[in-house]
Amino acid sequence: MKNFFFTALFFILITVQGQQNSGTISGTVQDNSGNSLPFASVLVEGLKLGVLTDDNGFYTINNIPKGKYNLVVSFVGYGKRSTPFEILESNSKVILDFTLQESTENLDEVTINGKSYETKLETKGFAVSAIKTEEASLRNIQTNELLNTTVGVKIRQNGGLGSDVTYSLNGLSGNSVRIFIDGIPISTYGNSFNLNSIPPSMIKNIEVYKGVVPGYLADDALGGAINIVLHNDAKTNFNASVSYGSFNTTQASLNGLYRFDKSGLTVKASLFHNYSDNDYKVSGRSVVVTGLGGVQTPITARRFNDAYKSTGGRAEIGYTDVKWADQFFIGITGSDDYKEVQHGAFMTITPYKDRFLESDALLGSINYQKKDLFTKGLDMNINGLYGKRNRAVNDTVSWAYSWNGERAIDFRGNEYQYTWRSQQEGGPTLAKIKRNVASIRSGVSYAINDHHSVSLNHVYSGIDREDSDALRSVLENTFVGTRELKKNIYSLTYELTAFDEKLKANLFGKHYQQKSTSVDPTIESDANGNDVVVDEVVDSNKSYDGYGFATSYEIVPNITLLASAEKAIRLPDETEIFGNDGDNVVANSSIDPESSENFNLGFRFGNFNIEKHAFTISTNVFTRNIKDRIGLPIETSLNVDDELILYVNQGSGTSKGFDAQLNYAYDNNFGLNFNISRFDLKIENQGIEIDVPNTPFFTMNGGLRYSFKNLIQKKSRLNAFYNVYFTDEFSFLTAQGSNTVGNEFFTVPQQISQDFGLSYAFPNNKFIVSFDIKNIFDEPVYDNLSVQKPGRAFYLKLNYAINKF
Amino acid sequence: MKRTFLNLKTFAAIIFTAGLMTACSNEDDTVVAPEPDTEEPDAVEDPRWITVAGAKMGEEPGDGNGGTLIYSVTSEDAKNPNVSIEPFENGFIAPSNRTARLQSSEDGNTIFNISYAGDTGGNYTKYTVEGGQTFTPAGTEVSIAPYVGTAPRWIKLFDGDQTGAAVYVNNENEFDENDAYTRTEATIGVVTLDLVNSSIKEFQEHSVALSAEEEAQGYYISRIDMPTLNAAGDKLYIGARLSKVDPATAESDSGFEILGSKTIILDYPSLLNPSVITSTVGHGNTNGYRSINSFEYNGSVYQANQNDPEGSHILKIDADNEYDDTYDFNLDDALGIEGAYILAWRPAANGKAVLAYRHDGSAEGVAGLQGFFALVDLNAKTAVKINDIPYDPDFYLFQYQGFVVEGTEIYLTQGAVGQNGNIYVVETETGAVTKGAELVNVAGSHFIGVF
Repeated sequence: MKNFFFTALFFILITVQGQQNSGTISGTVQDNSGNSLPFASVLVEGLKLGVLTDDNGFYTINNIPKGKYNLVVSFVGYGKRSTPFEILESNSKVILDFTLQESTENLDEVTINGKSYETKLETKGFAVSAIKTEEASLRNIQTNELLNTTVGVKIRQNGGLGSDVTYSLNGLSGNSVRIFIDGIPISTYGNSFNLNSIPPSMIKNIEVYKGVVPGYLADDALGGAINIVLHNDAKTNFNASVSYGSFNTTQASLNGLYRFDKSGLTVKASLFHNYSDNDYKVSGRSVVVTGLGGVQTPITARRFNDAYKSTGGRAEIGYTDVKWADQFFIGITGSDDYKEVQHGAFMTITPYKDRFLESDALLGSINYQKKDLFTKGLDMNINGLYGKRNRAVNDTVSWAYSWNGERAIDFRGNEYQYTWRSQQEGGPTLAKIKRNVASIRSGVSYAINDHHSVSLNHVYSGIDREDSDALRSVLENTFVGTRELKKNIYSLTYELTAFDEKLKANLFGKHYQQKSTSVDPTIESDANGNDVVVDEVVDSNKSYDGYGFATSYEIVPNITLLASAEKAIRLPDETEIFGNDGDNVVANSSIDPESSENFNLGFRFGNFNIEKHAFTISTNVFTRNIKDRIGLPIETSLNVDDELILYVNQGSGTSKGFDAQLNYAYDNNFGLNFNISRFDLKIENQGIEIDVPNTPFFTMNGGLRYSFKNLIQKKSRLNAFYNVYFTDEFSFLTAQGSNTVGNEFFTVPQQISQDFGLSYAFPNNKFIVSFDIKNIFDEPVYDNLSVQKPGRAFYLKLNYAINKF
Repeated sequence: MKRTFLNLKTFAAIIFTAGLMTACSNEDDTVVAPEPDTEEPDAVEDPRWITVAGAKMGEEPGDGNGGTLIYSVTSEDAKNPNVSIEPFENGFIAPSNRTARLQSSEDGNTIFNISYAGDTGGNYTKYTVEGGQTFTPAGTEVSIAPYVGTAPRWIKLFDGDQTGAAVYVNNENEFDENDAYTRTEATIGVVTLDLVNSSIKEFQEHSVALSAEEEAQGYYISRIDMPTLNAAGDKLYIGARLSKVDPATAESDSGFEILGSKTIILDYPSLLNPSVITSTVGHGNTNGYRSINSFEYNGSVYQANQNDPEGSHILKIDADNEYDDTYDFNLDDALGIEGAYILAWRPAANGKAVLAYRHDGSAEGVAGLQGFFALVDLNAKTAVKINDIPYDPDFYLFQYQGFVVEGTEIYLTQGAVGQNGNIYVVETETGAVTKGAELVNVAGSHFIGVF
């Protein structure tokens, strides 16, 4: 299997460099004690030719053109060595053996000189961040938390684990940001299989495209896209982890893959389970207990109706690295979640009791990938998903509860029921939404030669939904409509590589097509004058086009200019058109799509290695010019009943700002990263421009890491982490005059939160124990006005991994 | 490493400090708030405070969702056209997520507010008016949200600033054993609030039925508002809006026949014994919008209605707590227009009132139909458009909330969306109009009255 890996790489390299007048270099890599080092990286500097050593520490690199080079060898946990060599004539063979010294380099810093996957992605021209999950998966870090520390990304969560999250990329948020799992829209999976529930250990990496989204991820992503790439290697491995911490939070995950080397038959499975009481302490102006006459006493309360539970998994069987497929899997994904709801969009003095949401999904999947199908350079991949998902809202308790978790008393001192007979105003509900979902993404690309390639991509996603409520009468349920939404998005991409790979360009066009159908039963008189139930069908079929490009130019080695632009479209989604009872969103079938012209211009400096220092700096300035913005109105005059909201086109808008990021490492022991993001988000309505309120426009994140080697046991490793998150103050309310008073009522205060973590890898590298303290100083933190997030919390996690059977 | 870390902290500290300094300078400005030049009042009586309210633009011009700002001047200054008031620049932002529903004490010295929507929706606060942007919180916090929700419809009763009342209605369709629609239940909740002691006085919940015939057709009370005390102080009148479902499908109906205007009557202060009275003169809703919709005058309660197919009426409920169907005061007839719609109104003690309205001929402005003011005589049943106030297509009064009555004079605010305006004072006896202080506006915003 490892041989395959080696061979595959080897093969790819041959295709890349199919030149004559070439030689071969080969040799072995071993450590001080003479043990061979499999999987050490061996690179020919300047050529971007490289391989990993095989099981015996042996490497061969073919097709090296005539000339003088440096061969660089490195390996995790060992130092790096570089030796010059020369290919004199055709078919010359050079043999170079290396012995690497053990170093204090840590596992997470696989420094491959040349270009790592992340670097490659980040120098293609797109404004993209590639996030490695390897380190986070060993710690007590949620996928959402990892994203939140990424430059240009801001997540806003309405509470603790499992609560509603919105994602913002460079100021564009909500449905302007598309999230995918392996290219499949995450909405296909539903609420139970999302970034709240999937553990980082299931994820290989996360790609965040800001503003301009490449053709292979084509969707109506107006502000950008986040693609979660699940593990897709064909290497037998197994890992498991369990974590426990504050608020009775338990998280467990299990991932395994087994490949029968002879046949290529591969089975893989992942399981996860999350649970949290989320009973963290809150206080503030609405956290009060009311007594006789309505007298209010402020308290510090523990949230009491906020528990979250999610369980899910995915099992796949298929073939990897066989003649006819690099990957072929059929699989099944199942998930289930339960989330109690403590309050609505705001924390009010009337917390909810026993209101909860449930969702589940059962989906079948198929996946096929093949490079060089039929002919060299023709790659194909297909990823499809089909199944059912359900969502239920349960709110049937009419008794009022207080923030102390007990029945509230009215002004007379008696326990009482709300006039609306439910926790959330609007009446009791057992609403259910059933959905049939399907999504398939397919792509074909063809590399004409080393310089030109074209690709064609298509994604289909379809959702039909049916609503019902057991608390409603048969009659009412009869006249509830069904909804259907089908989306087809096509993209055509041309990629150019020129001037010794200094110039890279990517041009793409996208075609969007959406068909929505709503079927509402109604009563009509037939020819005989009898009343009959007929279906009133409303159809809309709309199509739009978009296009864009991304280009990068390496001005001097390690300094790259990146520019990208796209005319992006976002079609209104199912929720925006048809509403979602659980979230109190009502239908607006007349909504228009959003469009935006997005521009990015950035530089990337690095990686620079000066003695033991290594650093990378990248920056991006951006503008987004949005038309027909779709969003939830924060407050509108039409929106008289505040419990029911609908998505609307809010006029045009612009977001302008910059991102910057610095990564620094010293001697592979110490790492520092820092990023800063700032933007101005404005919308214009009837010629009047305002700053969009309720927008965290300025964020900074910093992190430090230090590795201690052989601290307790020999060959062990202890990593210490420190992270700080900063969000500047912002107001829930539109900007006011310079001399007004009372503004503070609407202010979401500036926030600085700090985390600390330790992670200890035992000598055999199979066990890793991590301990994390989040929000060390117990600062009150808010993503939304007065909705407090968890305070200080402690978590302990055990990881076990084996990569050899 | 340490240095970089410190730099990061320093950076954050600088920003934080900058933020603090900005905040401080604001406070400094507060001390030297531009106070209009005030002369020592010669009158024995202190002039009344006039509190101007403006609704700042949220995301759309005229939506009033960007904050409710208030600023107080003396009545002398309010009448002085040389005085300029800038609530959007210098005002106090009333704590309410959406446009606050304000009330003032009869002497103008106290402002009452119940926060509308958001985390503090339903919170009652009162402020002592001290001029300019200074509104000093008084009393303790109390919330009516547990009784009537976080977006409460409330009104101050005319009982000497003692009581506020807020209402809520919950609807549920009912079906028989064969799953056929029978009626829609309307459960009302009514709470009274002690404005002086900041405490809940009384709360009652009732099922309010319409006639069997009306209910069979699918009519039900879907919104209630504007509680008003009768002259005897023993009954509370609550305005109502009717909606209708289609009994065949139990889905909401539209374009249905509009029934006679209805009012719910409860015993006061017990809030018991609900009954419904129906007018034969007026049709349509009696729940108003944001300003008080019915007033006691000369022993009767006069109530405006809205959405009347014949144009708004002012209806009369007599001391016997029944509609006086001999009193027919139709605004279309009185003003010689079509489709009159009363947006807000306020009578003085002499039975003469200032009334804000729109009609079918109103221009379509930036935020809806243009509004006008009229001088109304409740006894003579006459109405005359006030022509001494300038009108603009963007002059919009849907969200208008407050008039101040001082003797026979009524104060009001004028100003189109995004344009400067003025306070105007109408002498109801003579109809004379005095142009008062200038109201300085900002883009997309408007003024919603005086308190």
